[in-house]
Parts: sequence; structure tokens; C-alpha cells
Amino acid sequence: MPPIPTRAITIAGFAVAVAAMFVLEILARRPGSRIPTVGQWLGYLMRPKIGRALVLAGWWWLGWHYFAR
Amino acid sequence: MATNPAQARSDQTGRWQVARPRRPAHLALLALIFGGLAVYAWMVAAAAPFSRGALVGVVIPGAVVGIIASFRPPERIPPPAELDMMGMSYWMILLAAFFEWEASAWRDNSWPWHPSFTNLIDPLMGPHLVKTAAVLLWMLAGWALVRR
Repeated sequence: MPPIPTRAITIAGFAVAVAAMFVLEILARRPGSRIPTVGQWLGYLMRPKIGRALVLAGWWWLGWHYFAR
Repeated sequence: MATNPAQARSDQTGRWQVARPRRPAHLALLALIFGGLAVYAWMVAAAAPFSRGALVGVVIPGAVVGIIASFRPPERIPPPAELDMMGMSYWMILLAAFFEWEASAWRDNSWPWHPSFTNLIDPLMGPHLVKTAAVLLWMLAGWALVRR
């Protein structure tokens, strides 16, 4: 059997992590779920002003990182 | 016994939001704003990486969101009073795994064999239409955050 290249393992790791986040969000939206949705935990983090500023700064950084660089 | 459908919907404990009926004028305004954002996203996506145009293209939405959040915040969606720690731990595990994977790729600095998430995303955003959609999604996410 040929060895699995490191690149494929890396890509698979990212794919699994991102897919698991989508699954978790779907599970969080079921009635009676104890898992918070992304919006809920981000909203919780954004209750204090510093949390709000940091989350918005993170959002802006993502835009700069992916669209301006 | 007859039940009010709207009341029944509001009694559901799920978190899928049910769209409220909107007036035609409101829908037209939303369509106009969405169209304007799509045109802006198209222009930003056309800017060359590391150019002044690309930088200005992301600075303007950031400034707009920052000003709105600071001085004219819209009606906010109330955050939960507390989070279930067990439920939140699932998110923490996934986020930690993702960032650990990303950090190891960044540390190795061997792009072909252990690419970072950015290395993988960049080629996907090559087509102009895909990059436009990504910029539009980013701006809508900014607005969603302002409402939180």
C-alpha cells in the first residue's frame, strides 16, 4: 500500500474539524439542545465592551487576511 | 381546539428563526442594500492582493461596522444569561483542535506538505465569483455580529 502523503492528512484534518463545526451547529439548533449556537456564544462573549471590540476586531482581521493580502 | 399558528411557532423551543412577514417597501429596501453590497463585494474581489484598493476595500466595511456598533447600534438580539458549560465544551474542543492543526502547519512552514488553512483557502478563492461571494458573506457576518 502506498504511504498516505502528509498533505492529504493535513487537508483531512481541516475538513474533519470544519465539518464537525457544521454538525455541532445543526445539533445546537435542535429543540432543547444544551449546546449553544455560534450566535449565542458569540453574543455571550460580546456582552462586555471589550469582548465586543475583540470579536469585531477578529472579524475585520479575517477580511484583511483573506481579501487584502 | 384551534391554535394560532404564529403563537405555536413562537412556543417552539428550537433555535431556527422563523422569517417574519415584511412589507413590500421593506423588501425592496433590503434588495437594494443587498445589491449594493454585492456590487461592492465584486469591486473588492477585483482588487489585486497587497494593493491599496484591496486594503481600502476591507477598511471601509470595518469602519462602517465599527461606527455603527459604537454610535448607532441597531436593536440587538439578547445574549443568553449564561452558557451551558458541557455544551460549550464541545465547541472549545473543536476550536482548540482546529487552531492546534493550524498552528502546527504554521510552525512547520512547509507549504506543500503541511499547508495551513489559508494556503488551502487561497486557491479556492481564485475565481472572481467565489471571492465576491466570500467578501459578501464576510460583510453580512459583520452585520450579524453588530446585531449581537
